[in-house]
Amino acid sequence: MRHIRTGVLFGVIAGLLTFLFSGWSVAVMGLFAGVGLGLALESRLDRGSPSNLAKQVLPAALTAGAILLVLSLFQNFVVQPAIGKPSSYGNVFVPANIIGVIAIIALTMITASFRGLEEKWEKRAKMILLAVVAIAFPFIDTFTGLRWTSNVIFALIFVILGLGLNIVVGYAGLLDLGYAAFFAIGAYTTGILSSPQHNIYMNFWLVIWIAAGMAAIWGLMLGAPTLPLRGDYLAIVTLGFGEIIPVLFRNLIDVTINEPLTCWIIPGIQKMFGATSTVACINLVNHMDITAGERGINPIGRPSFFGYEFQSNNPTPWYFLIMAIILLSVFIIQRLHKSRMGRAWMAIREDELAAAQMGIDPIRTKLAAFAMGAAFSGFAGAFYAAYIRGIFPSVFDFSASIIILCVVILGGIGNINGVIVGGLVIMTADRLFLPALKDFLKGLMDFTVLPSLASNPTLQSIVAQNANPILYRFLLFGLTLVIMMAVRPEGLIPSAQMRAELHKDEEVVIDVEDNQKSKAKKG
Amino acid sequence: MLELKDVHTYYGNIHALKGISITVNDGEIVTLIGSNGAGKSTTLRTIQGLNKPRTGTIVLDGVELEKLPAHEIAGLGVAQSPEGRMIFPRMTVLENLEMGAYARKDLTTYKADMEHVFDLFPRLKERIGQKGGTLSGGEQQMLAMGRALMAKPKILLLDEPSMGLAPLLVELIFDIIKKLNEEGTTILLVEQNALMALSIASRGYVLQTGEIILSDTAENLKNNEMVQKSYLGVE
Repeated sequence: MRHIRTGVLFGVIAGLLTFLFSGWSVAVMGLFAGVGLGLALESRLDRGSPSNLAKQVLPAALTAGAILLVLSLFQNFVVQPAIGKPSSYGNVFVPANIIGVIAIIALTMITASFRGLEEKWEKRAKMILLAVVAIAFPFIDTFTGLRWTSNVIFALIFVILGLGLNIVVGYAGLLDLGYAAFFAIGAYTTGILSSPQHNIYMNFWLVIWIAAGMAAIWGLMLGAPTLPLRGDYLAIVTLGFGEIIPVLFRNLIDVTINEPLTCWIIPGIQKMFGATSTVACINLVNHMDITAGERGINPIGRPSFFGYEFQSNNPTPWYFLIMAIILLSVFIIQRLHKSRMGRAWMAIREDELAAAQMGIDPIRTKLAAFAMGAAFSGFAGAFYAAYIRGIFPSVFDFSASIIILCVVILGGIGNINGVIVGGLVIMTADRLFLPALKDFLKGLMDFTVLPSLASNPTLQSIVAQNANPILYRFLLFGLTLVIMMAVRPEGLIPSAQMRAELHKDEEVVIDVEDNQKSKAKKG
Repeated sequence: MLELKDVHTYYGNIHALKGISITVNDGEIVTLIGSNGAGKSTTLRTIQGLNKPRTGTIVLDGVELEKLPAHEIAGLGVAQSPEGRMIFPRMTVLENLEMGAYARKDLTTYKADMEHVFDLFPRLKERIGQKGGTLSGGEQQMLAMGRALMAKPKILLLDEPSMGLAPLLVELIFDIIKKLNEEGTTILLVEQNALMALSIASRGYVLQTGEIILSDTAENLKNNEMVQKSYLGVE
């Protein structure tokens, strides 16, 4: 029964999303929903033979497939006319639905049957499946003409940011409310080092490391004086830092630095004795525009790969570049988490005093977390600058910090998989689904709702003005936060620690013996 | 081995330790007894570097501790089973014990030490994968002691190991303290349960409002009229 409920959930979400995109989207949704549903069910199943497991999830898979098909039919024949678009037949609609329904059913069953493999192979099979989906995605996207890739790239930038912030907040337990500042430092480092702003055109592959290093250095510089602070106090300091950095970049447009000895001190002394100044003032920097203020820095140099220059109109290479950065980041972060330093972070998060008693240097440990976290946002910043080709101070303000923090918290604080899912869900919702919903609602208004309100012009104009979900972006975001924190405070995919913390009544036991006992009881 | 000389510690303006001098020799159990607020825990915290003494010296095997930060003192072989246990609640029993060995440079006997902790506290082995925060009070006490032992300390500071435990468990814990000492661990024991503490210690100090008012062998302290009246409840 619980499986079917999950099947209904995935079917409904996938089906409703086809409302927004129509056309081939039902096939792509079937693909994603199948993998997602399979993975969600897989972890709940008891081990058994693969064919038996596939049979167990068949009802859920069929339910999801049926719901997807019904909603897709409804979409094509009822919704499409209502939003003023023609229903499609034949060449797109039929194959898209067949592929979508088969994909959701087959992939659910295949993924669930991984549970029957040995644990080592189960993990590998899941990895391979996800890798295939990830690699296939941009090609499917190009083929179907949905054009999601460029928005997914934005989501992936926030995945990296989330992964970096997760080191600081999730592992070391330091609340950082100004994390976007390091993102900005990474982006501006890239902007300054490879743009006409200063006529410096450094290679992207070099700049990305410089950006990460620069962000890490700033992390150390902010951290060194402030990390003895704890909890709320540290959060306020990071908040301040996050406010200062964009202001700084906004205003570094007319910088003049005079050498003090020749410009003030010697002339000053001479003046004191009534003499006229005899030394020439040495001007180190004269009216230099470092960051171009509100105008922003652009165009920023793009990377090239063995002679192939990345282009703005083809997102696929960018997609693979950021995927590679994510893979590298995940690899490094996993290593860090299991290392001695990772242990020290965990201990600091749990109890700083007790950690010090164990011989852990709290300041050094926290500084390392800050610097590492900042370095990853430096990567993200460099990629962002090169991808967008222009950077503006307003991108890196407080709301960016908060969104990154929400990626971490909604996804599952302290859990890499959780943060990845959190970043994808939040940012695709923001950049892909919300604009699509806007178009959808506009069509619905223009063709169905507004004509029916023609008798009441006042109401008609109110509805017409307010039926734009982009206006409610932050309201929806806030609402999601409130609901999530009430229903599932540990995040979409929580770490074991958070689950233990937030569900104290359900005693979490990892002991093998006890596990068997409790299973025996249930059985 | 460990020597405190005229140590003064303050909490802000509060003069908590008013010139304490304590010596702990190699292989001894020395106990600090005293009522609430006498400064027993403050003494241990000062040795460990969690509170800094304003004046006075603390020397461990010729090394001055009083200026060092807590984590460096831990690295020199001072381990504490702190008051209120201070275990890591979201880490498993095993992870807690592993944290205990964090500062150790010599890990050759690591496995044997882990086995030894499990021999002393079989309960911990049963609970090895459970989160520290979900253990009972007595188990947490065992975990705190086990974690301190994993540091293979030169000197083990025990702060109120009997606090909040059932009488049977108290006896078990004290048996283990004695056993540890017989195996060669030097122990500085802070305890409100003066009778139990004096029965296993070789020497003792009586603390009152931040000052040492008596110091003698445990035997003599037990028979001291003032100690009997104030701390042993003998009429």
